[in-house]
Amino acid sequence: MKNTKDNACPMQKNEGELLLSYCAGSLAAERVAEVERHVGVCPECRSWVEGQQTVWQALEAWEVEPVSADFEAALFARIAREEKAAGWQRWREAWRRLLPGGLDWRVAAPAGAIALLLVVGLAVENPFRREQAEAMVKLEAREIEKAERALEDLEMLRQLEPLEEETRL
Amino acid sequence: MAVATFEHDAELMLRVREGDAQSFALLLAKHRGPVIHFLYRMIQNQAVAEELAQEVFLRVYRSRASYEPTAKFTTWLFRIASHVALNHIRDGKQERNQESLDQATDEGLGRQVASSAPTVEQRMLREVRLAEIRRTIELLPAKQRAAVLMHKYQEMGYAQIAVALECSESAVKSLLFRAYETLRAKLAHMAGRG
Ligand SMILES: [Zn+2]
Repeated sequence: MKNTKDNACPMQKNEGELLLSYCAGSLAAERVAEVERHVGVCPECRSWVEGQQTVWQALEAWEVEPVSADFEAALFARIAREEKAAGWQRWREAWRRLLPGGLDWRVAAPAGAIALLLVVGLAVENPFRREQAEAMVKLEAREIEKAERALEDLEMLRQLEPLEEETRL
Repeated sequence: MAVATFEHDAELMLRVREGDAQSFALLLAKHRGPVIHFLYRMIQNQAVAEELAQEVFLRVYRSRASYEPTAKFTTWLFRIASHVALNHIRDGKQERNQESLDQATDEGLGRQVASSAPTVEQRMLREVRLAEIRRTIELLPAKQRAAVLMHKYQEMGYAQIAVALECSESAVKSLLFRAYETLRAKLAHMAGRG
């Protein structure tokens, strides 16, 4: 019995992954027969396989909960917000480069007004523009309403944030 | 089919890199379920899992410019998901999970007891078993847990899990063996029960 094991026992050969793959159903077809033949004669491996199959079946019973309906809309809104912030960042950096010695916003206040106009241009260039975001949400009809609400919020942010930005700087 | 999927997802991601938001929406629609379910089983709290999944897909979107299809898309995605989950656990943000699990179980049992369905006993047994499975999984060290969940529910191979967990294939085999060893010891009594 010892000889049989030494020759073919995955456990003895430190190849337990063979048994693991066998139980997971991911073992190459040509090796399945080989493992089955061995499991038939090796009590140790048979016991291991049976234990593993019990665990495998037990885990099958663990079902998951449904995903919230507004998951996508919330994500798209976060991305759009982030894109917008990135647009501002790009704009600020570009502007900083134009002004030697850094920005003094008390002096450059009128420039801010011009900059606001530039932002509109950047928003058009933004890869996550409004029409694309809208196209995305059309994929899931049941979420359209929520996504549209998010887009409206965005539109509102778009109107509000230049003011916040200006006061903060 | 695996190759086709690989090419398709990678192709979509390359389009996202070019600024195509619709391709991102397609990737999201396809992969949000598996990612959220993985995170849910890691953290055992649906709200937190969805919050972390938002973080995962935000990271995917943020990485679009540097994305290179060197690995299978799902492997790359689960690398991000594992990273987010392990960070969350490492930062000790999940102390209340077991509590909420106990509560969920009690509520579940309460519902079963109150129910007059003929299968009440079976359903109660099922609830108890499920709670035990969840608790056993939760007791596994986080990295073992991640390895088992990807192996069992995502049907990922050793090499893929190794990439996702940023370790060697032999380390993955060792993680899986130790994890299944624990699960076998704790769940062995479930053998033969329907
Ligand atoms: Zn053997």
